[in-house]
Amino acid sequence: MAEKGNLRAALAVFWSFFGVRKRRDYDDDAQSLTQAQIIIAGLIGGVVFVLTLLLVVYLVLQFVK
Amino acid sequence: MSDAAHAHDDHGHHAHPTGIMRWLTTTNHKDIGSLYLWFSLIMLFTAGSMALLIRSELFEPGMQLMHPDFFNQLTTMHGLIMIFGVIMPAFTGFANWQVPLMIGAPDMAFPRMNNWSFWLLPVAGIMLLGSFWLPGGAVAGGWTMYPPLFIQGGVSYDLTILAVHIMGLSSIMGSINIITTILNMRAPGLTLMKMPMFVWTWLITAYLLIATMPVLAGAVTMLLTDRNFGTHFFNAAGGGDPVMFQHIFWFFGHPEVYILILPAFGIVSQIIPTFSRKPLFGYASMVYATASIAILSFTVWAHHMFAVGMPVAAQLFFMFSTMLIAVPTGVKVFNWVATMWKGSLTFETPMLFAIAFVCLFTIGGFSGLVLAMAPVDIQLQDTYYVVAHFHYVLVSGALFSIFAGIYYWLPKWTGHMYNETLGKTHFWLSVIGMNIVFFPMHFLGLAGMPRRIPDYALQFTEFNQIATVGAFIFGFSQLVFLVLVLKTIKGGAKASDQVWEGAQGLEWTVPSPAPYHTFETAPVVK
Ligand code: HEM
Ligand SMILES: [Cu+2]
Repeated sequence: MAEKGNLRAALAVFWSFFGVRKRRDYDDDAQSLTQAQIIIAGLIGGVVFVLTLLLVVYLVLQFVK
Repeated sequence: MSDAAHAHDDHGHHAHPTGIMRWLTTTNHKDIGSLYLWFSLIMLFTAGSMALLIRSELFEPGMQLMHPDFFNQLTTMHGLIMIFGVIMPAFTGFANWQVPLMIGAPDMAFPRMNNWSFWLLPVAGIMLLGSFWLPGGAVAGGWTMYPPLFIQGGVSYDLTILAVHIMGLSSIMGSINIITTILNMRAPGLTLMKMPMFVWTWLITAYLLIATMPVLAGAVTMLLTDRNFGTHFFNAAGGGDPVMFQHIFWFFGHPEVYILILPAFGIVSQIIPTFSRKPLFGYASMVYATASIAILSFTVWAHHMFAVGMPVAAQLFFMFSTMLIAVPTGVKVFNWVATMWKGSLTFETPMLFAIAFVCLFTIGGFSGLVLAMAPVDIQLQDTYYVVAHFHYVLVSGALFSIFAGIYYWLPKWTGHMYNETLGKTHFWLSVIGMNIVFFPMHFLGLAGMPRRIPDYALQFTEFNQIATVGAFIFGFSQLVFLVLVLKTIKGGAKASDQVWEGAQGLEWTVPSPAPYHTFETAPVVK
């Protein structure tokens, strides 16, 4: 249960970074996720976003050199 | 709302002071909202006059009207006042009027703090404007306050730093008030997920303000101690680093530009559904996009600094992150267009401004993407291209949304319909004028004309003259707006409670004009 919730939160945050979410999924999120879960997932999502970009930059520079 | 309801109100409003004391001591969210909006309008004309002086000097190459240092004072003060004195207070004014009305709350959570938040602003405004008359004149180092210029200037620089502190304090208190109100005072049944988009955008903006204002305060405090107490944070000769200021400033500065645009997104998201007679397309994605824009806005700051010299890795990082943040912004534009798609559209003035917002803000978004490319930006940094970019997002973005919101809610606030012919006149003059001023600036920037310069090379003359003519059209057409607002307050056709056929939400259930006290008993939302 808890694990499924965390996955849901991660998914919700992923879609939010893209900016798109189906109304039905959004309503489900709103039902099943707590505010704390979403905030923590959002912060982790921010960190993951930065780390991913750093990785991409690293790979690009490897490729160029 | 009814007299019976008032009877229960033991600190009843009948005892309120009148005249100037009413406004000095008021704790009513509607009074305070009006104060914010009037302050903003006065500052709009003040900073707008400065812009016309700037454009007059730039009508021809060479120096005609003023000393170059005074020109620099004008550009600096124009920027500071437009951002901190016009756009931000106007949005806070909307929040004060509308958030309680839209969530069914009787007032803001902390009414006395609300009063203080407002009255700090005129104090800061007087400090800023008064510095024109001090020795050395007002600050001339640019609104971004970069050292070393900001460390070298005279007493007005200290005053400006204090004014920025005071305005930051006002913003933080306002944000605490707004967050508490939204989280704790919603009408029964009005869950977060049912909140109007304007309330959502302000909730997120308020968090951004609380996160970034202390950063700005830290940056200017370091300037202050560098200036007066012998520290060397930004002084290379003393082991400091002037570029560090830019990092700290833009870590505040980029989220700040979203503070200036998220409430605009909110207003437009109220207006477009009303005049399309359809619910907002993709409400859920709008909420998500707004939240993610807020988080990601902290990861892009160095796109303002590509030209200062950064490792390639850093340039790539900030280039990628900046381009990615445009995705949720773009999604919003699609949502507004999809809301209008197959709707029964009518084109009253609020809708006209909202549509102009969608079109012209998008131009600003595109030029932002151009600037986001590091190799391109190294050419364009500090040219008029940047000036064109941020005026498209701030004038046809933030300011137009403010106009749209005023036309939309003024009937609710005053009880009178505004004059539609005058409104449309104001709209067309503004849109045409605005594009005549700012579109040629793209060409000027691409051709290499630097910003913040009182004189220029001959080949830039024509586009500058066009821009100046546009500036006067735009500037003077704002007098139409002033006349319209005054006329609407004085009289006009009686507005119904609903005001707009397609309008939805709690604010339209109270009478027009909205009584001094509303929702003393909370409405129930199903
Ligand atoms: C699609 C989204 C956007 C992107 C990709 C973007 C990108 C950029 C970039 C790269 C710069 C730096 C240009 C330079 O100095 O060389 C810049 C400057 C600026 N942007 Fe944006 N921007 C976007 C949206 C906005 C919005 C919504 C606002 C405000 C409402 C805004 C306000 C500004 C301001 C005020 C500056 C100039 C600051 C200064 O140097 O005085 N931008 N933008
Ligand atoms: Cu930025």
